[in-house]
Parts: sequence; C-alpha cells; structure tokens
Amino acid sequence: MKTNAELYDERLNRIKAAVALEKPDRVPVIPVGNSFCANHLGVKPADFALDVELAHRTMLKSFTSLGEVDGIQQPVFSPYLLSFQWLSRVQIPGIDLPENVPWQVHEAEMMTTDDYDVIISKGYKYFFEDFLMNRLDNMLAKVGPVFGYTPTAIQNAKEAGVVTLSPVVLCSPYEVFCGARSMPKFMTDMRRMPEKVLEAMDIAQTQILEDSRQALRAAGCVGAWVGGWRAASEFLNPKLWERFAWPYFKQLVEMTVEEGVLPVLHMDSNWERDLERFKELPKAKCLFSGDHATDIFKIKEVLGDHMAIMGDVPAGMLALGTPDQVHTYCRKLIEGIGPKGFVLSSGCDAPYNAKPENVAAMIASVQG
Amino acid sequence: MSQTLINAMADLDESVLVSEVNALKTQGVAPLEIIQNLQEGMNIVGKRYEEKEYYLSELIMSAEIFKEAAALIGGDLSGANAASHGTFVMGTIYGDIHDIGKNIVTTVMGCNGFNVVDLGVDVPTADYIKAIQEHKPQVVGISCLLTTAFDGMKECIESIKAAGLRDNVKILIGGGPCDQTTADYVGADAYCKTAQDCVEYAKKLMDIK
Repeated sequence: MKTNAELYDERLNRIKAAVALEKPDRVPVIPVGNSFCANHLGVKPADFALDVELAHRTMLKSFTSLGEVDGIQQPVFSPYLLSFQWLSRVQIPGIDLPENVPWQVHEAEMMTTDDYDVIISKGYKYFFEDFLMNRLDNMLAKVGPVFGYTPTAIQNAKEAGVVTLSPVVLCSPYEVFCGARSMPKFMTDMRRMPEKVLEAMDIAQTQILEDSRQALRAAGCVGAWVGGWRAASEFLNPKLWERFAWPYFKQLVEMTVEEGVLPVLHMDSNWERDLERFKELPKAKCLFSGDHATDIFKIKEVLGDHMAIMGDVPAGMLALGTPDQVHTYCRKLIEGIGPKGFVLSSGCDAPYNAKPENVAAMIASVQG
Repeated sequence: MSQTLINAMADLDESVLVSEVNALKTQGVAPLEIIQNLQEGMNIVGKRYEEKEYYLSELIMSAEIFKEAAALIGGDLSGANAASHGTFVMGTIYGDIHDIGKNIVTTVMGCNGFNVVDLGVDVPTADYIKAIQEHKPQVVGISCLLTTAFDGMKECIESIKAAGLRDNVKILIGGGPCDQTTADYVGADAYCKTAQDCVEYAKKLMDIK
C-alpha cells in the first residue's frame, strides 16, 4: 500500500513524463470543474460561490470520489476570480441569481476608450487598482481571501496524494481589455485607434509580466494556466491576431517557462489556423489544453512532436452522453493522441450538469 | 447607385462611408436607396466572411458602421427589408446570457440578405412564440453556451409545438457545447457548428442560390 506522499510523487512524475513528450506508465488524468462538483455533492451554488474553503473541499472530494485522479487543475474557485481576471461583472447565485443556478459572466462595457489614456498617462497599476475598487465594487477585498486560502488548498490536495496542476491563471492584455471593454467594443477599438490600444497594451503587459512573475514565485506551483479565450484565431483576422494577440501571449508563456513553471495553455474556441505558431514556444515545456472547438487530432498532427496535449472530452457529451460513449471517446484519445505526451481531461470545465457517472467513466478510462 | 458607398461598406472604410452618406443626403438621394447601397456592401462583407477573408473582427466593425450610417441617414427606412430572402428570428435561450455566438450568427445572416429579428439573451419561451406569431419567420435560431440551457431549449421547442407553430418554422440550434446529440435531445431540425452553416441551411431551405 503506497502512502499519499508516494502516490503524489508517482503522479507528479507521470505528469512530468507526459509534458516531456515521454511515455508514462499510463496516461495521466487531471479533471477540471467547479460548478459540476457542487452539483455532484449537493452543495448549493450560492454557498459554493461565496465560501472558498467549502468550494475547495467540494472540488477535491468530488473528483477523488469518482476514481483515481492524478491531479486537479485548480484547487479553489470563486466567481470573483473571473471578475478579477477579465475585469467583467459576474452574476452571483444568491445575490444576482437564484441560489441554485451557476454563476455567469455578464459582459458589458465597463472600460471606456478614455481608460486607454489613463493607462498611458498614469500606468496600468493605477488603472487596475482603481478599476477593481470603483467599478468592481472593491473586488480586491473579495478575491483576497481566495488567494490567501490557495496555499492551504494546494497542501490539502498534496496530503491526499493529488497534484494541483495550475492554481495560478495568467491573462494577456488582450483578454483583460476585451473583457473590460466588451468584445464588440474592443474589436472596433483595434480598428479605430490601433496605436493607442497598442500603447496601452504595452504598458499593461510590462505590469502583467512583473505581477505574474511574482505570483508564480509566491505560489511555487507546478503549472499555471496561460489563458486564451477571446483572442482565438477563429475570431480575429490574421493581421490583428499577429499584432494584438500573439506577441503578448507568447511573452507570458516564455516568462512562465523561465520561472520553471509549466504553462498550461488553456485555449478555448478554435485556434486551428495558427497552430503552427505554437512551435515558436519552448519545446516539451508546455501543455496545450483545448476545449474541443479546436480539433484535437489536428493539434496532434501539428504540435504532437513539440508539446504535450490535454483534453478534450466535450461538455455536451459529459452532460448528455452515456458512460459507454465517454469511455469510447477517451480510449480514442488515449490511443490516438497518446500514449506519449498526452493528459486526459475534459474540454474546458466539466459543466454543472455533467453526469457524475460520465466523469467517473472518463477517469476510469486511463486504466484500460 | 453609389459604388463608392458600396465599396466603403465592403472595405469597412468608415471615413469614406460617412462622407459619402452625407454627400448622398445633400444630393437628395432617398434614404431607402442609400440603405440599399449599404446592404449591398454588407452582402460583400458576408461573402468575404464566407471566404475567410473576413473574421468576426470585421463582422463586428461592419455592423457598427452600418448602424452609424443608418443613424446619419435617418428618414423613412420602411421597406428596407423588402428585398430580403426571408426572416430569421434568433436569441440566446433563457438561463444563459452569452451573446457572442448569437451576435455572430445574426450579423452573418444579415450580411447574407436575411431580415434578422434579434431577441437578445436570456430569452423566455413566450418571447420566441410572440416573435414567431408576429414576424412569421422561416427559420428560428436558438443559441446557448451553457449545457444547463439544453433543457430550456427543449422546453422552448416543445412549447412552440404546443402553440401550433412548429410546422411553419425550421429550428436551428448552435453554441459551444451543441452537437447533433444536443439537436436530437432538444428536438431541433439541425445544429449549426458555424454561422456559415446557418446561412447555408437557411438558403437551402428557401431554395436560394
């Protein structure tokens, strides 16, 4: 009988082997989800959303009760983290929504074009802190306890033999500005005032890189999400993507590698057009995690020799499918994308109404 | 017919578009005629999107400057939709407030000559039924990003059927988590992976080349 400490080391080494494009003893499985865990264990979304310790215990218990997982992607959750990342409002169950429904990001134009001037003249740190205080109702006070509890949550998971893959989330200026301005407004800004947007983005990037580096050092973590959501290739013409999205994202990834941390490229939406560009990132140092919108077999074809791949059981299959369907799909991934350089997970989060038996089938599938 | 205006709309050249609209107004050109030029430009935008020369970034800009031009024109625009292929009603189902996918589809359908009725987000079933009765669309689109909205889509389609309206419309669904299994579950006629799928399905349905 192995101790939890031995299991932790075994699982961490399994993940490291996959990232290094080697063949581990078996494909690791690292689920991700938050509202699913609440629903699975009968915790009210309103309670889960506002009590970080409850959220952590629920997430850890939910996934470990469904089978042998090598890790979890995130140790805690709070919808306020979404506000903090994207400078957007989030509707909270029990406050803005009924107690029993999950939270949702409410996209609105929270940042104006004048704010580009504020960033240029007063700096991003000034803008960011002022925004959190005055436009997001003192958001720093709300996320503070979440950040404060995260090391304890990572330690709890470790004591249970479970690796926390990516407790830190990093966002490029594109994602932050797009969230704060709203996607339509930001897309028109890139055409109407490109030089001003770029100047503000450059200033923001310097601060984001510095703050992210400090966050990674403080967390001492295995990996960090470096997220791509609104900057996906499917949304942007190549010239805009090349100018406003890729250079900043690439710098964040390179900084993460420099810090000895694994960048988990959490790439929602379709990035197929630009997959070749990901070869510019350090070889065997990143984990590409698609949400099923980018064809995972195409990712394998283009990047399979360059970086490990994680994914991508689709949300719809977890919600509406059967355990047999999930098992069949997972085996197709394990044999077709793996067994080298592959980590099994859902495509983005397991959704609120994923069937627990389907998540269990995903976890069990790595055993054969 | 102002080729300058059509090209400005198609090329998303905002400054030329604004000065040309103002010039046409000064010359006394009828508002409806100016709008028709803009629509012709929008058709080119739709074509370029289909051919992957344009992306969402260009669609959003086209919608923005079309709105700006329409506001400049003012006047009587009734009849502007007379030449449309047909009517398309679309919204994001109740319980879901995501609008990006819905906006992509409504813009692309507008660029392809459909009269679009956009119901917004978090749309209750009653609003779909009211819109079908009022606008008599050939096609209805229901969008979602959350899997928790699947049951709302199913209920909505069942209610449209119970109201006796189902036989007169085709119902398409779309959004991040949707696939054919979802379409079967909710009782839709088809699922559209992309906005272009929606255009092609609707055109095929109406026998438009």
